[in-house]
Amino acid sequence: MQEAPTTLSEYRKQIDSALQDEFLRRTLDTFAVAYRANRETIFKEVDERALINQIAEARDKACKRMEELYAQFREQAEKRGVRVHRARDAAEANGIIARIARDNNVRRIVKSKSMTAEEIHLNDHLIADNLIVDETDLGEWIIQLRHEGPSHMVMPAIHLSRYQVADDFTKATGVKQDTDIQKLVKVARVQLRRKFIQADMGISGCNFAVAENGAISTVTNEGNARMVTTLPRVHVAVAGLDKLTPTLDEALTALLVLPRNATAQRLTTYVSWIRGAGPCAANPDDKKILHVVFLDNGRTEIAKDPLFSQIFRCVRCGACANVCPVYRLVGGHKMGYVYIGAIGLILTYFFHGKDKAKVLCQNCVGCEACKSVCAGGIDLPLLIREIRSRLTDEQGSDAQAALLASVMKNRTLFHSLLKFAKYAQKPFTGGTQFQRHLPAMFLGRHGFKALPAIAGKSFRDRWPELERKMPEAKFKVAFFSGCAQDFVYPEQLEDAVKVLAAKGVEVDFPFEQTCCGLPLEMMGQRKTSVDVAAQNVRAFSHKRYDAVITLCASCASHLKHNYQALLSGNSALLAQTKEFTEKITDFSSFVYDKLGLRAEDFNNSGQKVTYHASCHLCRGLGVKEAPRELIRAAGVYEPCEEEDVCCGFGGTYSMKFPEISARLLENKLNNIRKTGAARLVVDCPGCVMQLRGGAEKQGINIRVDHVADLLAENLKR
Amino acid sequence: MTLTDSITRQTVETFIAKATAVNAVVQELPAIPAALQYVVDVCESKTPAEILADEPGTEQGPPGPNNQPTRVKRIVAAPDLNDEEFATLSAACEEKGFLCIREGLRKYVAGFDVGVSKALLGVAASGTCMMNTDREDSRLAGMISEIHIILLRKSAIYPDLPSMAQLLRERMNEAPATYTTLISGPSRTADIERVAAVGVHGPLELHIILLED
Repeated sequence: MQEAPTTLSEYRKQIDSALQDEFLRRTLDTFAVAYRANRETIFKEVDERALINQIAEARDKACKRMEELYAQFREQAEKRGVRVHRARDAAEANGIIARIARDNNVRRIVKSKSMTAEEIHLNDHLIADNLIVDETDLGEWIIQLRHEGPSHMVMPAIHLSRYQVADDFTKATGVKQDTDIQKLVKVARVQLRRKFIQADMGISGCNFAVAENGAISTVTNEGNARMVTTLPRVHVAVAGLDKLTPTLDEALTALLVLPRNATAQRLTTYVSWIRGAGPCAANPDDKKILHVVFLDNGRTEIAKDPLFSQIFRCVRCGACANVCPVYRLVGGHKMGYVYIGAIGLILTYFFHGKDKAKVLCQNCVGCEACKSVCAGGIDLPLLIREIRSRLTDEQGSDAQAALLASVMKNRTLFHSLLKFAKYAQKPFTGGTQFQRHLPAMFLGRHGFKALPAIAGKSFRDRWPELERKMPEAKFKVAFFSGCAQDFVYPEQLEDAVKVLAAKGVEVDFPFEQTCCGLPLEMMGQRKTSVDVAAQNVRAFSHKRYDAVITLCASCASHLKHNYQALLSGNSALLAQTKEFTEKITDFSSFVYDKLGLRAEDFNNSGQKVTYHASCHLCRGLGVKEAPRELIRAAGVYEPCEEEDVCCGFGGTYSMKFPEISARLLENKLNNIRKTGAARLVVDCPGCVMQLRGGAEKQGINIRVDHVADLLAENLKR
Repeated sequence: MTLTDSITRQTVETFIAKATAVNAVVQELPAIPAALQYVVDVCESKTPAEILADEPGTEQGPPGPNNQPTRVKRIVAAPDLNDEEFATLSAACEEKGFLCIREGLRKYVAGFDVGVSKALLGVAASGTCMMNTDREDSRLAGMISEIHIILLRKSAIYPDLPSMAQLLRERMNEAPATYTTLISGPSRTADIERVAAVGVHGPLELHIILLED
């Protein structure tokens, strides 16, 4: 069992060693690419969104009725000879299962895969009780032989090569084993058959506990759960209380998504429904001894939480890890404790405590890839940010985050500091756009990209010269600039003004606006984040606009999706907040959808232009077509491999985990290089910062711009 | 062909495609006698089953592909067949020198050659068979056999899971029902380097025989 890191520096050391594991890197790269393609194909046969919504709704309802469903299940199951137990926590669950073993003179136990059993470290407990426990899922058996924990919820041994497995099997059998995978699989078949036969007790997990008829269901590809539940005389199923489902219908709906999302299968090979204690020739009375142990471990409390109860929509498919760019780099042992991936970061906090979670839950870049594939539509990045904020409340901030929060509380101070920075940096920029000569002590591990300089004159200082009143305007819009464009890339906003003005749009720029607050959220500074949100809403409430336009996808997504929740306690601002969030529009969508800019509006430069789909645009706002069509209109669009995978910026994430950020950037730049494009455009200044800095550092001859720059340059006047 | 016929044919075609996609071998045969003959043929042409655990008193042949001793007398287990069907299969097996059994499968849990089962219904969208596996012997036939052969009536194939939900519910509500299984293809894993492999614990091969009514 791996240990959870307790300090960031310890964690970064672990991450460094994972980053050097070439096999892991290759395996997870291949997997990430293959998974996305296979998933897309297998979901074409069903209505993915509708099913996910159905699962979410059904799980939300079920979790409100947890107690009632438990009572119903218990009554149904007990009627059919099942003993139903309920454990408050891990210790109680382990105690109950050990007692069942003792009461039935059990010596040998076979197990099929159960994350709930992993959660309570059941094996350790049973082995300490002098019981012989053998895992029978191939992957679980391999990691058991190695005394490791799973590195993926569905493929527990994905971090291991055939050579490592062959070595482990050689040790386990005392016979030199071939490295051929088909042969290794048969070693398990041969070795485990005896264990199934000799076992007195089988322990299984439980994918669904159906309240209407008291049935439990196991889902496996290997068929080991059927052996585990059939051959031994005693069967114990371990289930989290969240596995209670009202009827078969909800379970069958979940089965349309779970295998597709987990392994791109239409249905898992074996789905078993066990309803009551059936015949069992291994017992003198030919009747199975069947126990179901429900684990609470905080679940009934979480079920009452209006925000976090959505974690019970999780079907343990592992998809959030499969698409996570960070998981892909560091693997499951560094991306969770027992539970892996985005959901793992969250479950660790609830099931294993804040000490285990506080460092791990920092490791989310916030790209929302997990949210976009989650079988239950869980807003995983939001919940991770929420946990950071709770940890801050409980344990206090680190110095950096506290400083940021105290500065941000005061817009004038924050903006003065940003302006002051342009003088402070002067000795280091050599008059270029990059901070070329920052002393190494400040750069530290951030040397992988050139850092941008603060602009000589911010957008707000340029605004008085740019502002044009247009009485005949087609649309009146306001800019939400975001800090990066106001102070680092004001030229992007200027270019946007050019395009909009040429098409008869009057632009306003309310001066009282400040940081959107997303960086504060990422650092767990909820209180200040709420303060700046209110300030922004007020800043835009003096006039009526047709739209509030932002060139920063991250700001846009945060303003649109999180402000109403953040300000829900501010009754005076409710109406304004709603109006404000509804008006938020990203630049590309506005000019493509609202203004209808097309090829005829541009002098096509013929330049080869590639695109990076910013996380918060393509997933956060669901905008995919507009920017690509605009590129086609102004130049020649060169598609890039893995266009929608995160560039590694993630705002403050790149400061906290520079090693990971650098690797993500490297992968991105490699793909971009392959396109042969002369120019790369994006919809987010954060991505510009990361990608332009990376290209500069690596000496790649490509211009990196905002979409607005490309459009302004090629617009017909 | 009527509209109903063509819809039915469409469902059958889908079932065949999806079952084949998960490595099942699908055969269309007219009736039970042909299916039973198929069982005997499959058993005859396969390599003899490996004996994966001690089974005192059993005559052992040369090691099989996994270096385990093999059965000299092959075994066909068919717990789901009715008396008449079992008598026919039994006679055909005897002729070939196979042991044909319908109960007490635990005795041969070290491994046997062919298991024969009857499906309650099929699900076209995933090539799935729904099995009554209440009896231990019914379960073992599909778990311990090296080749599992399932008989399925074409008229019992439903388009997808939602369309058979009520039937699953009714099946589970039948008085002695304790164990119902959905099977889609042979036992499989991709736990080592994500490379697909069949036959990790259960059958190495799954054959589905589609029968006319």
